Parts: sequence; C-alpha cells; structure tokens
Amino acid sequence: MERAYPIRPVLTARAANLVGCQHCASAWPMGREHCGRCGARLSSRTPNSMQRVWAWWFAGVIAYIPANTEPMLVTRTLLQSQESTIVGGAVELFLYGDPLIALIILLASVGIPVAKFLCIAYLAWSVSRAGGGAPGPRHRMYHVVEYIGRWSMIDVFVVAILASLVQFNAVANVTPGPASLAFALSVIFTMLSAQSFDSRRIWDALEPAERTL
Amino acid sequence: MSDQVPDLPIAEGRRSLWERMSIVWLVPLAALVVSLWVAWESYADRGPLIEITFEEATGIRSGETELKFRDVTVGVVEDVGFSETLDRVRVAVRLDKEIAGFVDGDARFWIVQPEVTTQGVSGLDTVLSGVFIEAAWDSTAEGLVASHIGASRAPLLRTGQSGLTFRLTAGPGVQLTGGAPILHKGVEVGRIGPPELTSDGTVARSEAIVFAPYDRLVSSNTRFWDTSGFTFSLGAEGAALDFSSIATLIAGGVAFDTVVSGGTPATDGADFVVFVDEGAARASLFQDNAGPVLNLTAIFEDNFSGLSVGAPVLLDGVAVGEVANLNGIVDRDRFGDTNVRLTTSMVIRTSKLGLTDVTEEAALDFLAARVENGLRARLASASLLTGGLKVQLLDIPGARPAALNREADPFAIIPVAPAEISDVSATAEGVMERINNLPIEELLDAATAFLTSATTLTNSEDVKAIPGDLRGLVADVRGVTNSDEVQAIPAQAAALLTELQALSTDLRAIAASIETAKAVERVTAALDAATAAAEDVGASVEGVPALVDQLSGVAAKAEALEVQALLDELSSTVGAARALLADEGTKSLPTRLGDTLAELDAALAELRSGGAVTNLNAALASASSAGSAVEQAAADLPDVIARLEALAAEATATIAGFGEDSELNRTARAALRDMQDAARAIERLARTLERNPNSIILGR
Repeated sequence: MERAYPIRPVLTARAANLVGCQHCASAWPMGREHCGRCGARLSSRTPNSMQRVWAWWFAGVIAYIPANTEPMLVTRTLLQSQESTIVGGAVELFLYGDPLIALIILLASVGIPVAKFLCIAYLAWSVSRAGGGAPGPRHRMYHVVEYIGRWSMIDVFVVAILASLVQFNAVANVTPGPASLAFALSVIFTMLSAQSFDSRRIWDALEPAERTL
Repeated sequence: MSDQVPDLPIAEGRRSLWERMSIVWLVPLAALVVSLWVAWESYADRGPLIEITFEEATGIRSGETELKFRDVTVGVVEDVGFSETLDRVRVAVRLDKEIAGFVDGDARFWIVQPEVTTQGVSGLDTVLSGVFIEAAWDSTAEGLVASHIGASRAPLLRTGQSGLTFRLTAGPGVQLTGGAPILHKGVEVGRIGPPELTSDGTVARSEAIVFAPYDRLVSSNTRFWDTSGFTFSLGAEGAALDFSSIATLIAGGVAFDTVVSGGTPATDGADFVVFVDEGAARASLFQDNAGPVLNLTAIFEDNFSGLSVGAPVLLDGVAVGEVANLNGIVDRDRFGDTNVRLTTSMVIRTSKLGLTDVTEEAALDFLAARVENGLRARLASASLLTGGLKVQLLDIPGARPAALNREADPFAIIPVAPAEISDVSATAEGVMERINNLPIEELLDAATAFLTSATTLTNSEDVKAIPGDLRGLVADVRGVTNSDEVQAIPAQAAALLTELQALSTDLRAIAASIETAKAVERVTAALDAATAAAEDVGASVEGVPALVDQLSGVAAKAEALEVQALLDELSSTVGAARALLADEGTKSLPTRLGDTLAELDAALAELRSGGAVTNLNAALASASSAGSAVEQAAADLPDVIARLEALAAEATATIAGFGEDSELNRTARAALRDMQDAARAIERLARTLERNPNSIILGR
C-alpha cells in the first residue's frame, strides 16, 4: 500500500533561486540576508544543522543511560524505602497485576524514546547519503517525531506530581530519583535534536545533481 | 539585469574544523564529561565489598538493609545469597570507604531486630525501618578483612563498653536466663548472655559480663547466686518474703558478692558457679572450695536409677565433689549398640584433692596418673534405705588399662568400673520376709507361758522354802562331818591296821609252824628253795614296795601337817602299814606260799615213803588253815581299801578346809594325792587278788 511518491527530480526552492523564511514562510530571492517581512535571518539550508542534530542526539543518548540505570522514584514508607528504576517499576507493576499501566509506562519511557532516537538517527543518516528512502515517508516520520516529542515528558510529569503530592513526612514520602532529571534532560535533548533537523534536506536527494551544498 | 553576476562556478574556501564545528557539540561533550565524572567519582568513592555469613538473614534485603556502627550507617547490603552448601546465608555489604580499614579480624556483626523480653523492648526502631546489621569493632585499623562470620545474637559487650567477660556455670537447681541482669547490692552491673548447654547436654553455661568500673568487684573469692524467683521463710523471726526485684522475679538474675577479701582479681574467661541461693554461695566460700572447679564426665554402662544430681562423689572415701548432671545417652556410632548409658557429669573441687597446686591442670594430671594405676569411677549404693547411689573414685585392682580422656568435649572422661550395687529392694524384701516368717506369736506364747510358770514357781511355797532347805542341808552336811561315824573313821582304820597286824602275826605264826615242821632235811632244802623262789617273786611284786614308798611319802607329808590328831592317826596307820608291808614274809608271802605248797607236795611224797606222814598231815592242816587265813585276809582287803579311800577323801576334805593357798594345804594335798595313789595301788592289788586268788599263791 505504498503511496507513490515522485522519485524523479523536482524543482526545489533552492534550485529556483529562492529561499523561504522559516518564521513567516514568505519566499525571497536567494542571497538575501534577512526576511523583508519579519526580519528573520534567511538561509536556504540551516548551516551545521546535521552537526547540531547529531550533537543533541548524542547528548540525549548519554542522558538516557543514567535515566534507566538510576532510580526514578524513591518511595519511603514507614516500613521501608524503595527505589525503583523505570524498567524495574514497570516490571513490578506487571508482576503485581497491572499489565496495562506497566505497558503504558514501558511504552512512554522506553519504547517512544528509543524509537525517537532511532528515527532521528535514521533521518540524519539518510539525508547525508543519497537514496536513503522515499522523502515522503521520511518527512512524515519527522513530523511524527517532532509531534510526539512534547509528550515524552509524561514520565517526568508523573514523578513530579507524585513527589509533590505524596509528602507525608515519615509515613510516606516520594522523592524523584536522579533518573528523573536524566530522563528529562534526555527528552529535552532529543527534542532539540529533532528541532535542529532541517527537514528541507529530505528533499535534496531529488534535486538535480548539478549543485551540492 | 545588467548587474547580474555571471554564472561562474564559485569555489568556496574550505573552512577550518573549528569554523565548521557547531557550538552545540559542547552539550554532548559536557554531558559525557559530567556522566563520566560522576561514574568515576561514584566508583572511586565506593568502599570495599565484604562478606558476612549468618545463620539466617531475617529481614535483610539487598540494597536496603544498612550496616550500622554506633547507629550510623556505614554500609549497605548489596547482595544476599547462600554459601556453597546452602547452610549459611551470605550477605555482601558495601562498606563506606572511610571505615573500611577498621573492619579487621575482630569486627563483629549481628542482626538487630525488634525483641521483647522481660527486661524491656529493644530494637523497636527496626519495627518501622526494617532490620539492620550492627557492627562493632575497636578503634585500631588493622586492615580490611573481607570475610566475616556474623553472630546470631548481639554481643554482651557493646561498642564503647568495657568490662570483664567470664563464664557462669549453673549449679544444681539454678536456671540461667539469657539477658538477665547481674546485680551487686541491688545495682545492675552486668548481664548474662544466652545460656548454652555443653555438648553432652549436662551443664548449662553462659557468657556473662560485668561492666567497668564494677569489674573490679569480681575476684577469685566472689560467689554468684541465683536471685530469680523469691524465697519465703518462716522462722523464729517471723515470715520473710524475699526477692530482689520484680524483674528478677520474672526474668531471673544473678547476684554476687565478695565475702572474703584477698582474692586475686578475676580475668577474662574466668569460670564461676552460680549457687542456688545466697546462703549456699556464702557457705561454699568457707567449705574450702576456693580452688577452681574441675568437671569430669563418667559414662556408666548401666543405667541405674537412684543416682541424682547432688549425689556425692567420693575419692578414696573422701567427698571431693558432687554429681552435677545426669543424662541418658544412646550413641550407636560411639558404643556400637543402642543401650542407654548414663552420662554423669561431676564437679570436683580441686582444693579437696589435697594438691599443693590447686589448678584444673594439676588436678587433671593427678587424676590421669591415678587412672593409669587403676583409678576408676564406679556407682555404689549410698543409702540402703533410699536406694540412692553415689559415685566412687577408687582403685580397682586388676582393672583393664584405660586412660583419662582429657581431650573429650566438653569435659575429661574418666573410665568406669562395673557398679557395685546391692539389690537393695530385693535385700530389703528378703529381710522383711524373714522378719515376717519369724514365729513371733509362738515365741510370745511360749514366753508368756514361761513367765507364768516362773511366776507360779517363784511364788510357790517350795521355792520359798529352798533357802531354808539349803540352810538345813548345810547343817546336815556339817552334822555328817561332825558325826561320830565319820570321826570314827581314823579309829576304824586303826582297827583295820590292828587286824592286819594280827594277820601278819598269824602269818608269822604259820611261818613259824612251818619252820618248826622242818625236821626233815628235804623239807629244809625245799624251804630254802622256796625262800629263793620267794626272793624271785619279791622282785616281781614291784607294786608292793612302791606302795610302801608311797605310803612313806604320805607319812612324811602327813607328818608335816599340823593336825595333831590326824597326824597321830596317820602315822600310826602308816607305821602299822609299814610294819605289815616291810615284813619280808608278807612281801614274799604269795610266791613263797606257792613254792612252799609245791615243795610240800614233794616233801609229802618223800615223807609218805619216809613215814613221817602224820607229822606232815598236821603240818599240812596248819598250812591249810594258814591258807584260809590268807584267804580271809584277802577277802578283807577291799574293805580295807575302801576304808582307806574314804579316809583319803575325808582327809582331802579336811585339808581343803585349811585354805587353798597355804603351804600346808599344798603339802597336804600332795600327801593326800599320794595316799590316794597308795589306796589305788592297794585297790589294784585287791582287785588282782579278787580276780585271781590263785595269783597270791602262784605268784602270777
């Protein structure tokens, strides 16, 4: 059911000697420095965009490691103190008979971030090489990644809400563990990575080969 | 558009690496650096991992349970597992780096959990927080030791406490309670550890501690006693109810006091016995029990009932200790059968062994030497009535060689000898049976009858008359003695002698007539021959001269008697007798008569031929009369002798009256004995004549 995307060379803005303003979407002739309407700096392709993507991506991956190894939530009750990591907590929930919630947590905290990492890496890798796949689906993928990024903080929200609600001194006490900070950072870095990605480059592969960056 | 740039290829200058690098790269770089730094720091800060093994890991969770020292967390359990053989729990603890060096060989670990005892509640905080492992070590860092064995209970001496650690052995009737206080004058100065049985289960022991500075109060003269429970005494001073404190009433406790000063201060590991009460403890001090206590075990083959805790232990008959505990054991591996044996643990007071060196070692040496020489333990009856037993240590001659097993656990084992137990019940039964079988009733009947008869007899007139009769009897006897007849005996004897004299005169006359008739030469010759024969016969009749001599002796002794009348009588008697017997005619009479008759026969035969028959007939007639006279005399002899004997008896009685011991008496008695002998000789002669009258004629 693959939709037919044009593989043949298309005329891009750059090929037409135009540059689009990324802020107000007005089109200007190539070479103009600033947007005549909103004054934003114009660039046909964001310079160093791939480097920034990769840099944020790496930062996100690095932050994601302690987010999983360190405890996410420290629960202290009268009798005991419990530290649970993301996966450990999900497994515990699953064992205690709540597979749905365990699945949601696993999906939100492990599945989606990992998918995001993979997607961004794939996109970044595909644009630096020719023929990395159809530009249409990749563009759609990019949008999904960007869209979903803002919801990736759901774990952090849960921890924040719990930590602020469950504060009964000695009886029960929930404090965020170091993993929550790392996880938040990882999400932020991933979002920045996704934002740094210049989606226009997806279509460069279809440009006539007479000019390169 | 004239200003349009010609469409020329523009070769952009290659920018340097720094120009091409985005500033954003600093972010992952920083993240990497930070995470690496954190990782390295946490790794570098990580203390060493030690391993503690416990019997069981109650409530220990990995990653949660903390290791505390002085109530400060110094480590966390990282892993809980099992030892290779699953017999212990292995707990891996991540230590803090700073204190790692102090966890050396003397570090102790135990699990603190909530505990409710009669002394109070401890470890309550662990109810909420979960158990934790507490550690104690000293303040010198001697290097990490990675493997430790955890204690099952908290040590008595906690961190920061010092004191004297010693061992308490429960005496008979004492119950040691773990955690109970040790009191001195009502102040708690120490604590008893959990009691443990010795490996053979005979004696309970426990560690105990007296905290500093009170540890100075414990010396070798200190005695411990049990203060648990209460004592109630009712005496002349009234009733007294005594217990030290409610806590000890419930939980038990031990008090001590040093009654006599001068003991040496106790050292760590010292041994003390807990007495059942203060009285016993104080008394023990004055029982010369000052020396250390030696524990011995004897395993008796037989399992007799009757041996009890507290039964005496005798060494050569001297009580040197007592039985501390008894246990029946069945140990197939050790003895090869399933018989029940009696394991007896004994407490020997080394001071009672009489050794100069009063130590446990010396006592063991002493006993070992004795055992080699045959010393054995033996069960023996202590009381026949109760059937109680005692333990004797004594030399058994010919005992099989054995040695004192000093390596045995927990106490040295002394070899045993077969028990010497009289079957008390059987014996007692036998005794009772015999008593039962005694004819007591018959005996009593007989005795009653006897007593009745005796009473009757005693009361009878006859018995009452006995004294009077006796008196009469004595009087009669006196009368008899004084009677004329008795008095006349000497006179009769005199008369007898006179008759004898007459007889001898007759004989002399016969002899003379025979002599006058020797007209015929042949007769003379015959008579000569007869004389010679008579001389021969005289030699054969030895009794007669002896009789004479004896009579002379009698006479001589009788002469010495001062009884003039008797003496006169006797001397006349003797004189007469001597005259009679000294006469040659009498002496040779019998033989001469026989020979004479023989010669006479020959003479008659010649005379018949010679014609002097008538003369001879006359001579023979006279000879015949002489013979009858002799016969008459012989017939009279027994009478004479009887009279002589009576005389002698009378004389004896008379002489007896002169006193037992006087010289006179002895002399008289000798005289009388001689007289008796004389009388007996005469009697013999008389008997001979009686039996064979011919012998006086025939000389045989």
